[in-house]
Amino acid sequence: MLETIPGYHRIDPRALSYWRWTGLLNSIFIWLIPLSYQQAMRWWELPLWIFPMLMLLAVSATVFKIAVIPKVRWNTWLYDVSEQQIDLRFGVFVKYRTLIPMVRVQHVDTEQGPLLSHYGLSTVTISTAAGKHKIPALADDVAAELRERISRLARMVDEDV
Amino acid sequence: MYKAQRLHPAAILEFIFRNLYKLAQALLPLIILALGESAFRSWFLTFLPIVLVLFIVYMIFYWLRFVFYVQDNELRLEYGVLVRKKRYISFERIQTVQVSAGVIQRILGLVKLQIETAGGGNKAELILPAISADKAAELQKILQKGKVFNPDVPDKDRLIQYRLSSSDLLILGSTSNSLGLILAGMLTIVSQLDKIIPNLKIWEVLGKYASNLMAGTVYITILVIIFIILLACLLSLLGNLIKFAGFTLIRDGDNLKISRGLFEKKQLSIPVKRIQALKIVEGILRQPFKMVSIQVVSISNVGDKGEGNVIMPVIPRHKMMDFLEEVLPEFYRPFEVEMLPNRSKMRYILINFIPATVLVIIIFLFLPFAYPGLILLPLAIWLGSLQYRDTGYSLQESMLIIRSRILGKVSTIVPRRKIQSLSISRNYFQVRKNLNTLRVSIASGVVPANVKLVGMDDEKSSVIIQWFSR
Repeated sequence: MLETIPGYHRIDPRALSYWRWTGLLNSIFIWLIPLSYQQAMRWWELPLWIFPMLMLLAVSATVFKIAVIPKVRWNTWLYDVSEQQIDLRFGVFVKYRTLIPMVRVQHVDTEQGPLLSHYGLSTVTISTAAGKHKIPALADDVAAELRERISRLARMVDEDV
Repeated sequence: MYKAQRLHPAAILEFIFRNLYKLAQALLPLIILALGESAFRSWFLTFLPIVLVLFIVYMIFYWLRFVFYVQDNELRLEYGVLVRKKRYISFERIQTVQVSAGVIQRILGLVKLQIETAGGGNKAELILPAISADKAAELQKILQKGKVFNPDVPDKDRLIQYRLSSSDLLILGSTSNSLGLILAGMLTIVSQLDKIIPNLKIWEVLGKYASNLMAGTVYITILVIIFIILLACLLSLLGNLIKFAGFTLIRDGDNLKISRGLFEKKQLSIPVKRIQALKIVEGILRQPFKMVSIQVVSISNVGDKGEGNVIMPVIPRHKMMDFLEEVLPEFYRPFEVEMLPNRSKMRYILINFIPATVLVIIIFLFLPFAYPGLILLPLAIWLGSLQYRDTGYSLQESMLIIRSRILGKVSTIVPRRKIQSLSISRNYFQVRKNLNTLRVSIASGVVPANVKLVGMDDEKSSVIIQWFSR
């Protein structure tokens, strides 16, 4: 199911591959649970049947993180930057909509880690006096253009905190 | 022009004490070594005085090289012995100014000035540890007017003053949240007595005492409990007396000035246009007295947690509106709170009822006499419906007022221009009921303040979104 609202932009489709990789890396932590249970079984008398249950849990969590979540996240991420405000819609389990008036923007950054850079993607971070908001995984040139645009619009309506 | 000048020589002491800890930290490996080896110890003891003298001399140089002055509407600070550092703060960027004086500083007629800007970090951006009170007052005037000091007496008509009467202080102390903290603190001290005095076995003694009491009459037990609560009240009263004695609030033109404190005098001044939001807090203990306290949210890390931003520690509820009209007309809005839709009531009840049920189950599993624990269930339902009843909002031309309750009731008044971002979110249950959570972010020091309304009607939220994004 694809949510489309006219006027909104989607983030880059390459984000899917990027999130699948980060999902895989994140699930390492879940695998630590059955592994440490196996270790614990050597030292203490623990019921055996819990181990396959934990394995099943880890496998399904990994599949979920790689196959389901990136897709849903991509489908739900929408953003719109107008002259007055930045409008973000996102959320896998809880759906968020955030509005940031251009007047309140303090500064904008783009950043990319090694994995993002491999896919030619950047994250745009918008800072206000009360915290940061991120638009993840935009194509490098789109991100750079967006950063320039927000920064220009924010300067035009400069106001003190 | 406010010329380049040094701090009062007493600042040397302040510098020495502030850096002594760092010195000790740096020397720690050597100290441990000296404790172990006697050969090294004599060597260490010979050199320690030299190091200390060098340290003090360095601190004197630090003081000599620490100058501040005013130029081009900036407060400028230059310091550092080997590496020269300069810090310029434009008057326009100053968020709050706090003046405080400890006991020693008061004997010498000195104060400590802390200036805060919107920059991050949990320390004030500019600290002048010891300057004379006159100079501080002069400097504050320059900073506030954004121009050079003009020795006019302040216009008396522009000054509005509020003080706390002794009966206010009494109510403040006896209904303060610190009451519970003190009770907990007393228990901790009792449990620590064991370690300080060996062979005391405090719990055994207390246990025997308690069982004697149980064997005696219930009457005495009640007396003891009353005594303990009275003692806690007294301590809380003393603490608040020390903190809020001599509380004065002055509205001076565009600034709010607060001064308070018995031993350590504290003075805080907040430019009104820097106030991000106003909070009216009705603590659960103060509710029977119909008393509220008023706090401001501002970008400041100076105050103690929460306390630094109290502009009125205690005021009768019916006088609150008059107070706002007089002192902060910018925030004076008579408002009617619109409640949440009926269908979000269940959430408020369940969010209290479920943890209470878990707690009751635990009590039944582990405690012998569990039936009194059942009272938690109706209490949870009662608290939930109270929270539901008191949650709501009021939308004004340029203000949003959000009221909610956890234990105490808090109304937050935020000007539209001070809302940094607004967001609505829906979880699975809310989607089904056309409800959502509305969140408003406000700037305040290190941690941003978020105010939220859980269980808003979808249509009402879109009205607020339209109001916000016009």
